[in-house]
Amino acid sequence: MWRFLAEAGAVFVKDLRTEFRTRVALNALGLFAVTTLAAVSYTIGPYRIAEADRPFLLSALLWIVIFFASMAGLDRSFVKEEDTQTAPLLRLSASPLVVWAGKLAFNLALLAVLMAILVPLYGMLMGFRPVSLWGFAGILAAGGYTLAVTTTMVAAIIARAMTRGALFSVLSLPLLLPLLIFVIQGTRAAAEGSPEGVMEALRAVISLGGIMTILSVVLFPAVWHE
Amino acid sequence: MSREGGFRAVWPWLLFAWLALVIWAAFLWAPAAANFKGQSSRIVFFHVPMAWVATVAFLGSCIASIRYLRRRNMEDDIRAEAANSLGLTFAVLATVTGSIFAKIMWGSYWNWDPRETSITFLLLIYAAYFALRAAIPDPERRATMAAVYSVLAFVTVPFLVFVVPRIYWSLHPDTFINTQGKIKMDSRMFQVFMASLAGFSVFAGWLYSIEVRLERIRRRRQQEELL
Repeated sequence: MWRFLAEAGAVFVKDLRTEFRTRVALNALGLFAVTTLAAVSYTIGPYRIAEADRPFLLSALLWIVIFFASMAGLDRSFVKEEDTQTAPLLRLSASPLVVWAGKLAFNLALLAVLMAILVPLYGMLMGFRPVSLWGFAGILAAGGYTLAVTTTMVAAIIARAMTRGALFSVLSLPLLLPLLIFVIQGTRAAAEGSPEGVMEALRAVISLGGIMTILSVVLFPAVWHE
Repeated sequence: MSREGGFRAVWPWLLFAWLALVIWAAFLWAPAAANFKGQSSRIVFFHVPMAWVATVAFLGSCIASIRYLRRRNMEDDIRAEAANSLGLTFAVLATVTGSIFAKIMWGSYWNWDPRETSITFLLLIYAAYFALRAAIPDPERRATMAAVYSVLAFVTVPFLVFVVPRIYWSLHPDTFINTQGKIKMDSRMFQVFMASLAGFSVFAGWLYSIEVRLERIRRRRQQEELL
């Protein structure tokens, strides 16, 4: 177990180092998120939405910005390996599960950075203040994890295809739409201060995330060795 | 002609007669359900079997994909692709029949009701399957990636079909399999409904076998062209 974690950690650190050298994924995610947020804030702003509609509309807008921003950079971890032709070496030096865990950790770190910048900024610009902060944090954590685990698997698939950039969004977004519904519902419940609503959404998100994790563990070796 | 050969020649005509009888019974023998505008409830005899066939086809594709990943037999890839293509076609038909019902009952073809939303998501997910296939030229790699995506895609089906409509309030009538596990249908309606379900299931199975044979021929021709 410790050996597995150490090897996955090494893949994660390698990805982190190469990312800090170029900052391609970080720049793409960050700039896309900030640009979309600026566009949303300018066109809609904090006061153009009726008070009754605020919890739902602001929750929906927040997650749409997060989802679309994540499409801009979460495929980098695998696409980079194919572009730089380092994938065969990685296949020789680490087991598929180690690679999957390392890449998932990298995508989770990218999403954590994105959320740490985007969510407070969104709260300030759009006047979004959830009543249940713990519920909101739970939805962000569970939603972020499920988003990362799904996109990691899709990134591994599209890295072996042509027209990768467009294909990543084409494959990921439909698969993530059920998650989008659950996280919007949960964030709305957190904004309104409804613990039952948050728990109901959390159960659905965690189930989806759990199933995606199990499937990824089972299916990733087939994708990686193809 | 052998006994088996004779049955093979006759059964499509039997199926045609069965479906013609179902259509006649759906419009002229079964009563229209109460609490529905005009004759709109009769669409249940076509809309539900379409959705049923689509779901079974997606399940079939998931099973064929798992078999491909275990055995690496291209025959399973052909089956998975044929099942997804059939599932997508019947999902479009379920959407169209649902839209006709929505126009009569709710005054608009599209309302973003949770069930309409779920079927749109399913259409997008399975359309993406074909986009993925088109983007990978190598046949074996294409088969593996498509099989993995097909399994991932099927995971969303229970969430979209069972969970999403229960989270949001829906205009959609109580489903055939409801939370009480009771069948709320007039006996004649139920007989026609089951006959329609059986007829369309066999019809879909027939289309599937044709699609599998066509795909085999297409691939054989592609291989011959390469040689």
